[in-house]
Amino acid sequence: MLQIVTRKFFEVLFFVLFITFVSFLFVRLAPGDPVLTILNVDELSVSQEQVEALRDDMGFNKPLLVQYGLWLMNFIQFDFGLSYATGQPVLDMIIMGLPATIELAAGALFVMLLVSIPLGSLSALYRNSWIDQISRLLSILGAAIPSFWLGLILIDLFGVRLHLLPTMGRDGIISLVLPSLTLGLAISSVYVRLLRSSLLDSLSQEFIRASRARGLSESRIFFAHALRHSLPPVITVFGVSLGSLIGGVVVIEVLFAYPGIGKLVVDAIRQRDYPLIQGYILIMAIIVFIVNTCVDLSYRYLNPEMKLKERETK
Amino acid sequence: MTGLSIRLPRAKKHRFQAVTAFVFLVFFSAVFIYTFLYLRHDPTLTDLDRRLLGMSLQHPFGTDQLGRDVMTRLLLGGQQTIGYSLLALIVALLIGVPFGLISGYQRGIVDRVFMRMGDAFLAFPDTIVAIVLSGLLGPGIGNLVLAIVMVKWVSYARLVRSTVLAESQKDYVLIARINGLSPRKIMRKHLLPHVVGHVLVLASLDLGKIILLISAFSYIGLGAQPPMPEWGAMLNEARPYFETRPELMIYPGLAIVSVVLLTNMLGDYFRDRFDVKKEERQ
Amino acid sequence: MILSLEQVSIGTREKKIVKNVSLSIREGEWYALVGQSGSGKSLLSQAIGRMLSPNLQMEGKIFFKDKDLLSLAPKEMRGIRGQKLSYIFQDYQGSFTPFRTIGQHFEEYQKAHGNRDSKGRKAKTIEALESVGLDDTLYNRYPFQLSGGQLQRVSIAMSLLLSPDLLIADEITTALDSVSGHRVLELLAKRQKETGCTILFITHDWRHVKRYASRLAVMKEGEIVESGGKHRILDHPQHEYTKRLIQAAPTLGKGLPSGIQEVESV
Repeated sequence: MLQIVTRKFFEVLFFVLFITFVSFLFVRLAPGDPVLTILNVDELSVSQEQVEALRDDMGFNKPLLVQYGLWLMNFIQFDFGLSYATGQPVLDMIIMGLPATIELAAGALFVMLLVSIPLGSLSALYRNSWIDQISRLLSILGAAIPSFWLGLILIDLFGVRLHLLPTMGRDGIISLVLPSLTLGLAISSVYVRLLRSSLLDSLSQEFIRASRARGLSESRIFFAHALRHSLPPVITVFGVSLGSLIGGVVVIEVLFAYPGIGKLVVDAIRQRDYPLIQGYILIMAIIVFIVNTCVDLSYRYLNPEMKLKERETK
Repeated sequence: MTGLSIRLPRAKKHRFQAVTAFVFLVFFSAVFIYTFLYLRHDPTLTDLDRRLLGMSLQHPFGTDQLGRDVMTRLLLGGQQTIGYSLLALIVALLIGVPFGLISGYQRGIVDRVFMRMGDAFLAFPDTIVAIVLSGLLGPGIGNLVLAIVMVKWVSYARLVRSTVLAESQKDYVLIARINGLSPRKIMRKHLLPHVVGHVLVLASLDLGKIILLISAFSYIGLGAQPPMPEWGAMLNEARPYFETRPELMIYPGLAIVSVVLLTNMLGDYFRDRFDVKKEERQ
Repeated sequence: MILSLEQVSIGTREKKIVKNVSLSIREGEWYALVGQSGSGKSLLSQAIGRMLSPNLQMEGKIFFKDKDLLSLAPKEMRGIRGQKLSYIFQDYQGSFTPFRTIGQHFEEYQKAHGNRDSKGRKAKTIEALESVGLDDTLYNRYPFQLSGGQLQRVSIAMSLLLSPDLLIADEITTALDSVSGHRVLELLAKRQKETGCTILFITHDWRHVKRYASRLAVMKEGEIVESGGKHRILDHPQHEYTKRLIQAAPTLGKGLPSGIQEVESV
């Protein structure tokens, strides 16, 4: 296991170094002089000396590799510099936005579980019944509906017309409802069908019949044996679709003006706020790494065969 | 528990859907071509006197907040959304498939480099790469397409590679080699046809996902930029008006849903047709 | 009579697979049900425990200790299944849940039938494992870590744990090599003598019938073609099919098919 974790860590490290170096280059070479952006040249009239002074101050006149070296040292200590747009330390901005993003992701996952597990289970247990047909229909539709469109409709319905739920910002748990619901429903469609087929497969296994022969209750057989056996494929898909979950979080944050790091980075991109963008990349790399590792670990937990076979080969 | 139900062979069940999907796609393409040839309204011409009109003969879907004809923008938006998605898909295929063929058949350095690279690329979700590229190069549809290509080609290459690895063991490939066919010919004539099926399945299911990705990112401003009539961007522009003119928001959304539904149905059909298990049975 | 089947038929809406089967098993005996694959014997054995798939329908009566099993509510049936009536299946690996240890299987099983004493459960488990010649290191092992023979022995241990009245053994050695199979059967015979349990033994192997069974029934295409005592059927089969089956079976050793030695003529 340690082997896997270290390997993943290096993959992440490689990617981060690669990306940061490239982005570092771009900042220096890209259109749009960052110094001018900071000084907001459009609004103020600034003298050439002031521009030069700031440029020197920010170290832009030093040789490229030296700049990179200095920057990298800071980066490793999580000093991402100051945002071009707001002047605040990037790390602070990210830390402020992180809780909101985590809430949203957790809320969406909660909705997804709440929807997929019952629907998937019932579709498998009552195969070809009306529940199965409806869940199939909903899945097909759900896979085609853009999350942001669903969000707009929900906003229209619950926010504007019925005035039931808040549609913007973050004022307590109730503002989490619509965004979580939107994102959660959007990702559910895949999992409903996946759980169904995984369950159908599990339920047809011999050990289910053996458990029945031992007199275990149907609910025990279903939850402790069949359902648990059905989890690995679902987790695999989750690991693979992490990308679209992240993208979904970003889009939903923008749609509902929920102040998380997704919204932060989109604004940053529009404003060419490179330090913030770089900070975002590092944070996301860490998050992706953590999630991937958790997925791998949960595999080992669910599937003792893997864990023990690995130990045996050593 | 329920009783028996008649189960059609899967391909048959999906054939009906596939035919419907195909018919609709043909219909849409015809409509697109028609508008292209006989454009009656300039999609970007703003006419503030005629803002937010309802449905009329001249403007079957009304006009938007800048007086532009919605129908024209919808249809052209289709060209944008679907066009760019197809572009991303095709480029990813053009890079991925040859790479996978060579990597899988000839192995060697190419294969080793690819596997390492592939692992690294695959560790990163497409959305992050898209964000990174937009961040570095600025928001724009070109960068979005580039990001998608960069991530997707790996999955096609891997699929092709594993198919090729499996097929290379089979007799017909050995015979071709004994007969002295050049690797290139073997790859093209013998391996490619087997690969096509699997790739087609993955690609058609991916198309829907790419369309959703492009429209989503355009919605938040990281893809197609105004005044381009892309469906996601149109939804973004329609947002302030949805209390008074909710249709402006509904039409592009419906358009996206329909197209993605159609590509998914096609993908399901291909999946049944090129089912690996069926191949083995034959 | 511990088990009595009266005119039991099993089938789908279109076709009957088991047709009007009647047989009765006495307490304490080893009753064999013999037939080729597809004769319906496994289906019949599952039907006794009411474990048929939902698309199959069943008619007739199944009396287990004077109670008609087909008339019981699911909860009552669950009280019987696993406790008074237990099974051992052919697929030894498949009889166990892959992600649960052997010990966890025993725990769950005992808990399901009302044993709330955790220390007591563990003690009973270890005792059961030892009674089949396995040691307690297996308690924390997973099914994939055990051999076929070991798994079948665990199955024997589990199936006898709650002292059932009837044990249904469905082709339990068919998938094992003959040495392991022999050991498993010897063990089962020994445990049967110790507990006095009745066994319904499903098989297609006449050697097993010869060695262990006291009475048997022969099944062909869903019907019982002949039934009765072992010696009578093996030495003097009445039905054509029975005769053919016996002839086709390999015999080792001298004497009549049922094991009786012929007396040397003086």
